[in-house]
Amino acid sequence: MTFEVPKVSYTGKIRETPLGQEGNTVTVGGESCYSFHLFEGEMPYPPKIAMEVYDSEPEDWPDTALEPFADVIKDPVAWARKCIDTYGAEMIALQLASTDPNDKDISADEAARITKEVSDAVDVPLIVWGSGNVDKDTKVLKAVCEVCEGKNLIIGPVVEGNYRAIGAAAIAYKHTVVASTPIDINLAKQLNILLGNLNVPDEKILIDPSTGALGYGLEYCYSVIERIRMAALVQEDERLQFPIISNLAKEVWKTKEVKVPESEAPLLGDMKNRGILIEALTAQCVLLAGADILVMRHPEAINLVKESIKDLMA
Amino acid sequence: MSKIICSAAIRGARNIVGMAEAKYEEALKKWGPDQKIEFPNTTYYLPIIYGMLGIPVSTLRDVKEVMDKCNELVPATVSDNVWLPYLAPALEAGMATFFAEEIIEAIRYLEEPDFYTKGEDPLPDNIWLGAADDVIMRKRGVEFVDGTAPGFAAILGAAPSVEIAAKIAIELQEKNLYVFMCSDHEGKTMSEQLIEAGVQIGWPTRLVSFGPSYTATVFAMGFATRAAMSFGGVQPGDFVRNLRYNKDRIFAFAMPLGTVTDEWYANAAGAINWGFPTIADTPIPEILPTGICTYEHVVSNVPHDNIVAKAIEVRGLKVTVSKVDIPMSYGPAFEGERIRKDDLYFECGGGRTLGVELTISKDMTEVEDGKVEMIGPDLDQVKEGDKLPFAMVIEVAGRQMQSDFEPILERQIHHLVNYVQGIMHIGQRSIMWIRVGKAAVEKGFLLKHLGKVMHAKYHQDFGNILDKVQVKIYTEEEKVKEVIEQAKKVYKERDARVEGMTDETEETYYSCTLCQSFAPSHVCVITPERTGMCGAYNWLDCKASFEINPTGPNQPIIKGECTGPVLGQWKGITDFVYKASRQKVEQVSAYSLMNFPMTACGCFECVATILPMCNGIMVVSRDFMGMTPCGMKFTTLAGMVGGGNQTPGFLGVSKHYICSRKFLMAEGGLKRVVWLPKMLKEELAERMKPICEEMGIPDFPDMIADETIGTTEEEILPFLEEKGHPAFTMDPLM
Repeated sequence: MTFEVPKVSYTGKIRETPLGQEGNTVTVGGESCYSFHLFEGEMPYPPKIAMEVYDSEPEDWPDTALEPFADVIKDPVAWARKCIDTYGAEMIALQLASTDPNDKDISADEAARITKEVSDAVDVPLIVWGSGNVDKDTKVLKAVCEVCEGKNLIIGPVVEGNYRAIGAAAIAYKHTVVASTPIDINLAKQLNILLGNLNVPDEKILIDPSTGALGYGLEYCYSVIERIRMAALVQEDERLQFPIISNLAKEVWKTKEVKVPESEAPLLGDMKNRGILIEALTAQCVLLAGADILVMRHPEAINLVKESIKDLMA
Repeated sequence: MSKIICSAAIRGARNIVGMAEAKYEEALKKWGPDQKIEFPNTTYYLPIIYGMLGIPVSTLRDVKEVMDKCNELVPATVSDNVWLPYLAPALEAGMATFFAEEIIEAIRYLEEPDFYTKGEDPLPDNIWLGAADDVIMRKRGVEFVDGTAPGFAAILGAAPSVEIAAKIAIELQEKNLYVFMCSDHEGKTMSEQLIEAGVQIGWPTRLVSFGPSYTATVFAMGFATRAAMSFGGVQPGDFVRNLRYNKDRIFAFAMPLGTVTDEWYANAAGAINWGFPTIADTPIPEILPTGICTYEHVVSNVPHDNIVAKAIEVRGLKVTVSKVDIPMSYGPAFEGERIRKDDLYFECGGGRTLGVELTISKDMTEVEDGKVEMIGPDLDQVKEGDKLPFAMVIEVAGRQMQSDFEPILERQIHHLVNYVQGIMHIGQRSIMWIRVGKAAVEKGFLLKHLGKVMHAKYHQDFGNILDKVQVKIYTEEEKVKEVIEQAKKVYKERDARVEGMTDETEETYYSCTLCQSFAPSHVCVITPERTGMCGAYNWLDCKASFEINPTGPNQPIIKGECTGPVLGQWKGITDFVYKASRQKVEQVSAYSLMNFPMTACGCFECVATILPMCNGIMVVSRDFMGMTPCGMKFTTLAGMVGGGNQTPGFLGVSKHYICSRKFLMAEGGLKRVVWLPKMLKEELAERMKPICEEMGIPDFPDMIADETIGTTEEEILPFLEEKGHPAFTMDPLM
């Protein structure tokens, strides 16, 4: 008797979603099986990694994360170019952290200006991420949409409190939105329904189910991503058949474990390797759960995950 | 449709189409067929023609096809001796009117390039802006989509005076509406009136002076048509979706001020195609039945001081109240505050004085939104330590309001009043009790502020089901007594309504998937006689919740064919649960513990399970900490029941359901119950009475064992035998 691998029968498919502008399009989604279950279905587009760029010099990063970008951290345009030219970034994620009212609180117009400069300088799809402050993001991301008309940016986080305003601007100026919800499959689905009701086209929606770093609630996030994929692929849940993005780097690099030097915590081992591994492991987990786009920071962590994607796709 | 209106609209349309024809012939002669014609800076050509017909008019040659279409659409003039429903011909006449007017305006751009300013603001020597280009449309259109501007008022003509014009404009601005102005009445225009009144006009102030002629109406309609194509993903030529998009999303209406000419009628008839009703200040005939528009089509002779409110009501526009305007902080953080004797300034209700609160629905015409009346002395007329009788009557009205929602709204008073800093609220109905602290009075708190709170919060939280809220607060003994009498009657009717509702009388049940965040495959099915197991949601709550949040966790389920009357199984319910549980739960019974029992999340009030030796059922509530006869405490049982799994023999139930006629009907109902915690038995005593009488065992509660009899089956068995508990004579449970 020969052994036969039991197979899951899938009824759904993730929506193929082209990102970026014509000529520089990167497509994500399209899976007809769970992540890397290539013996059961297809994964026409391997998951992509977007490299982080910050709108101004980061203040709370450990040196281990700063070091690869030391020469460009004051200039988002140069930073983005370095990610592409030196590290081969497939996408860029511009974090508009300084728009946070509790941080530098830079104006919406200023943020839009920076975004425009970066978007003009890159030839890969650009993710633009607000500070997470619902009201400020509304102003900032609306301004960004307007200034970068037609560039098909990936705009997030769009949440229940501002989906109408940002969604409307994204429709008008033709961008893709990231629907963000706090680790809950039903809220994720509901926001996707609401965006659909607003008339945001289905090929312009990504899901961000929220991510925690390794050791900081990653298991819960893993389960939610996994369940979204199960609902989408085997349970005919159309409003969850969108690619998933995981904005994980900023979660990883704010944890205590990446910041404590070896001298203070010898048991934790080499600080640089530790940070890289925590980021790579966090990424690897959400990748296996079903993420299509990973927002990452450290080039070495990125290389590890890229290798892994290559192996798993082989 | 009124024959007078239809006849006039058709006459008007014929005039306008004739005019367009003449202009077109003249232009053709003068410029030739290759002459370009366009509205400035738009990729939507002549937008109404492009949106409705899909014809991209860019030269005079292209106009021919549109003119033919107009002539095809415009019906013959209505004859005096034929009586027919004239709706369709009038709507078609209106459509042709807009096509013709776009042609007229496009030729005007050709002949008089400087007739319009083509910008966002009026110029000193020219106030007419003309068609919005794509930049303006996109920027302003976003506001229509995200709701910061819900819609527009298309005003034709002029108000009787400059003051009235300014007042109407400001009122519309306050509702965040755009005001699109065109045409004149006896030589005067609204735009000029506003300038005379010193009101700033232009796109930035949302008072848009489109043009001096009635044909400029097409700039408003073209804006709406483009919005559907730009924001709704509607393809050019897909007129059905375009018109529906506008009806559902753009809260616009026409407001003719002054004599309604045949041409105005034609434009108004056209606007009805988009779902935009007409609200007139002159006594023209009305069209009240609902059909194309959400509510009425033409409402006339509306006084100027009421015209904005009426227009908003007829178009179904919702009022938004962003802030609770009271002198103290407001929010959930203050809900749990206690006002103790030492901090107490004033109190009412709670047995100290008479007190009552009541929410009732009224007709739209009987409620003036935002009105708060104080009848009797307020806090500024009492001294520390005083008490007053108190009655708060909240009157709500809304197109979607149903009297079934009254108790749900009324129940909110408790937490909404508690959110006020420095106020304590306890109870409801005629056992309510309010305490006001000294600190609140120092900050200037008055009882009438409670009215403001209720107005604002009802609008914020229940805007989908109500349109208007007014509040009356009484502190005079006589008046309070009157309200209490009225309230008693209302409560009695409400209770009777709930009593009278059975699972058989309703075709629709509701789902609740609120708890799927932690119990992914759990689906609650809530029927009139089986409330949610958490005790928080009954059938009416779910009904209201669905109205308020149509994409939320409470969805209506048409129960469909009954496949198991005793178990409580219906085809519609089975299908829904199968899908909503993501194929995990294949069958569910509403009334059975043993066969396909309903899954549970984790928030059930009680757990029911079997006691095999007694051939009966026990129910234990969450607040009972002790051991139970099944050998498990509540916490252990909860682990068996929760998590969205079907475990025959274990079921999460609400306290209310225990006294329902449908309680575990498949197993024999309440008669099967052999054990309850004493506390629960006492709590349910009143409600159990009628059921026991119906069973023919009025002393049945005395046959139910509790923890004072025993906490093992062996201990309670002799008691049950002695009492002659009916469970022994029933079919075996297993």
